[in-house]
Amino acid sequence: MSWDFAILILSGLPWTIVVTIGAFAMGLILGAPLCAMHISRNPILHFLALAIIIFLRSIPPIVWVFLLFFGLGSGFISIGAIPATIIALGVVTAANMAEIYRGSLSSIHAGQWEAISALGLPPVSSFKDIILPQLFRVTLPSAASYLIGLFKDSAIASTVGVMDIAFLANFVARKSFDGLTPFAFAAVLYILISIPIALVARIADARLRQKVAQ
Amino acid sequence: MSDILSFWGTYLPQILDGLGISLKVTGASLAIGIPAGLALALMVQAKSRFLRWFCLAVVEIGRGAPALILLQFAYFGLPNVGVSLTSFAAAVAALSWSTAAYTSEIIRAGLQAVPRGQIEASDALGLSFADQLRFVLVPQGLRVAAPALLGFAVLMLQASSLAFTIALPELLSQAYIIGTTTFRYMPILCLAGLLYACICIPATLLVGWFERRLARHA
Amino acid sequence: MIAEIQAGPRVPEAAPNILEVRNLRKSFGVHEVLKNINFAMRKGEVVAVIGPSGSGKSTLLRCLNQLEPASGGEITIDGLTIRADHQLRRAELMGLRRKAGMVFQSFNLFPHLSVLRNISLPQERVLGRSRAEAEKRAHALLERVGLADKASQYPARCSGGQQQRIAIARALALDPQVMLFDEPTSALDPEVGLEVLAVMKELAEGGMTMVVVTHEMHFAETVSDRVLLMADGHILEEGPSAEVMRNPKSERAQRFLKAVMNR
Repeated sequence: MSWDFAILILSGLPWTIVVTIGAFAMGLILGAPLCAMHISRNPILHFLALAIIIFLRSIPPIVWVFLLFFGLGSGFISIGAIPATIIALGVVTAANMAEIYRGSLSSIHAGQWEAISALGLPPVSSFKDIILPQLFRVTLPSAASYLIGLFKDSAIASTVGVMDIAFLANFVARKSFDGLTPFAFAAVLYILISIPIALVARIADARLRQKVAQ
Repeated sequence: MSDILSFWGTYLPQILDGLGISLKVTGASLAIGIPAGLALALMVQAKSRFLRWFCLAVVEIGRGAPALILLQFAYFGLPNVGVSLTSFAAAVAALSWSTAAYTSEIIRAGLQAVPRGQIEASDALGLSFADQLRFVLVPQGLRVAAPALLGFAVLMLQASSLAFTIALPELLSQAYIIGTTTFRYMPILCLAGLLYACICIPATLLVGWFERRLARHA
Repeated sequence: MIAEIQAGPRVPEAAPNILEVRNLRKSFGVHEVLKNINFAMRKGEVVAVIGPSGSGKSTLLRCLNQLEPASGGEITIDGLTIRADHQLRRAELMGLRRKAGMVFQSFNLFPHLSVLRNISLPQERVLGRSRAEAEKRAHALLERVGLADKASQYPARCSGGQQQRIAIARALALDPQVMLFDEPTSALDPEVGLEVLAVMKELAEGGMTMVVVTHEMHFAETVSDRVLLMADGHILEEGPSAEVMRNPKSERAQRFLKAVMNR
């Protein structure tokens, strides 16, 4: 495999990032109302959220991508490969983020909620000033490791023709009749990019931890 | 609606064949991967630096590279070094690697959760290191790890759908093939999705039940 | 005749030493927990180790079977000597642990094994007994600690006092020369502790050599032959139980005993 091929595979990076960030942003946002529904006292909302979360998590992400791209595309609404992948991975991420949010909320010490009621703080201020900063801190590590997982899952985009790293690795493998190097190169690429994400998350986590400890 | 049902009825045998292959690949990958994960979890703490680094590399590549890339590496890449695998064998090889890497971390956490007193008690009784592992640490560590391992098995069944890319005739491939010949992607992909859900939902509920039970007994 | 035995020392003066500790030291980093400990025990003797928490008494016990490797000095149990300045061989360590049975504050039974298996498995693996032989012995010991009906239960289904008696049976099954007890009743309710102490008393009367780290002053006074009173990593006072506990010489020992006796 020549350098040209390496650069060709590397040129798939932007699409890999677009799919990852797009799906992650969608999941971060949609996960919040889903979590709110799940912890709601209204039984209908609660079970609806529960059903949505379980269903989204129980069908493989690639099947969701195919459902949107081939399923909807065959005579329903035509949808591009990139939006199809982002939406499919985004809704699966939303279900997982809803669970992560819920875990974080339950990890906040019961004493904090009692203190809020005892102090008689208004609900908006208590959420914004007291719960949210703590929530952010406990959510960060799990959200970061989910992001790394999502980054790798974004390779699914290649199966519907998005020209990301995995797609171009496959392309180069076919072109050069060498299956070994392109895929090994792609694997190293995914691993190398995961490292800084993990590092940044760890540093941010350590900083926030220090802040809370003070 | 009845139109969809009769369509499903026609293709159900083919779809179930696919599901069978999905389950076989998943089962084989778990059967190879989990013992390998246990071995990795134990060897990562070995005294030999070479062995430690080797295990660390196996784990980090298995976890760091997308399963999709591992699958294609095994299927399209290995023939270049003279190892030609069938798509089934390649899928099992790649997914076993992935399983070993992830479960080694799960099992390591399980082993670390075994209370110190258990190790002290077996030391005081004079059990050898091997016996300590075999009779005290591993059985208790695996018990702690069981819910997470079952949860991982669910993810592995889902990951087996990625073997679509190496032409393994598993569930998703069968659905896709039926889709291309009938142009009715939507209903057949829905059926495939439902079948995955039929297995994964009860399994996920079981994991939750398992975790609650373990928490109660701890 | 009987009165004479009860009045005099229970263990004959001529009995050989089964345990000797010479110049034993133990440090955790710069913190010295045991400072030059010396004592010896004759076969069949029961020694209670008492003292305020942090005095080093549990560490002393854990050094005896090398759960904590000593930093200096030497320990001899039944003819086997371990020196802190010598690299300990695996076989020596195993030999030492075979001679010393240990009972922990937190029982440490194996939760995934039945009560019977808790007692029989170590016999099979450490002494090479057959399963039938090991189970026979286990049943006999369970009978002895009054828990014959618990053989097929799991530890979680037994009370704390029962678990501790099972732990004693587990240690006895390996035929130790010395039994080490690390605050065996501290994790138990007082009345539950009594059933454990009763088993220990019976064991003492049967001639077992025992080192008991304890807060139970009544047990120390009535069951043990001798008391070691420790403070700040030293043996502060040592002697026949009644003597040490009723007439402590040093002011530090008086202070400690006054505090615990008045409770």
